[in-house]
Amino acid sequence: MSDLATALVFWPAAAFMLVTALYVFRTSSMARAGLLLLAALGIEGLIFLALASEFLGVLLLLMMSGEMVIMVFFMVMFMADPGGLMGMDMTHDKRRSAGAAVAVTAALAALALATDWPAAVMDDGGRGSRGSGRDVQQIGFEIMGRSMFTFLFAGVTILFAMVGGILLAKEGGRLGLPTPASEPRDHGAQEA
Amino acid sequence: MISLPVVLTVGALLFGIGVYGVLSQTNAVMVIMGVELMLGASMLNVAGFLRYAQPQAASGSLFVLVIMTLMALEATVGFGLVISAWRHRKTAELDDLTELKG
Repeated sequence: MSDLATALVFWPAAAFMLVTALYVFRTSSMARAGLLLLAALGIEGLIFLALASEFLGVLLLLMMSGEMVIMVFFMVMFMADPGGLMGMDMTHDKRRSAGAAVAVTAALAALALATDWPAAVMDDGGRGSRGSGRDVQQIGFEIMGRSMFTFLFAGVTILFAMVGGILLAKEGGRLGLPTPASEPRDHGAQEA
Repeated sequence: MISLPVVLTVGALLFGIGVYGVLSQTNAVMVIMGVELMLGASMLNVAGFLRYAQPQAASGSLFVLVIMTLMALEATVGFGLVISAWRHRKTAELDDLTELKG
């Protein structure tokens, strides 16, 4: 993708991504918030494609699609007002939060703009090897080569997290003890 | 045109939105969404470095894969904690979850 094409995709996509990300926390509906987050991260995948990281962009799109669909289910389950029809306020300390966010953004942006970043090392006409399909091959060699232990470790970590998440979530916790929620809810009604 | 500082600045804006979400939201699931955005911003930074600083370094792509792994782990453990809190306290509102006990 040429620099002009990259710019033509990047700017609108970046603007749309930031707006949708902001509206994740502006909407009163968690279902809408989940779909907006899916849109924001999906557009980020599009930016990855524009930045010639095709494999990572497609991977991000696939992963976020699955994760956000699951997340929307959790939102609907755990919200008193998942549709946002009652106009509930789900925020606190908005002013201080916004101040902290602006401060962090300003510091990071200043660092990004003020730092003298090294120029790209390219030996094939300015595009490097990215976007030519070779990056997928290189990632494959990297994963199956010297970074194999890192990747294996990540896989085992995901397995432990899955087991830990299930143990945390199951009724009674990992010890199987009764929780207040496991007691019959209609006890009083039965007595009556 | 696009350059590395531009990509990093967009990443900083996305990270700031995530920070706002983490600090301002009262529901645990929404906080998890804020963390997802912050991790997404870091991925965008890595993609920028891959494109504009080290286009031939495949090892940089591994950072994105590790961050994606982190996103999955954070969501898994986070949702497990939310369900556990719901079972014990009947709420996922962080303002009501001020004690570890029980």
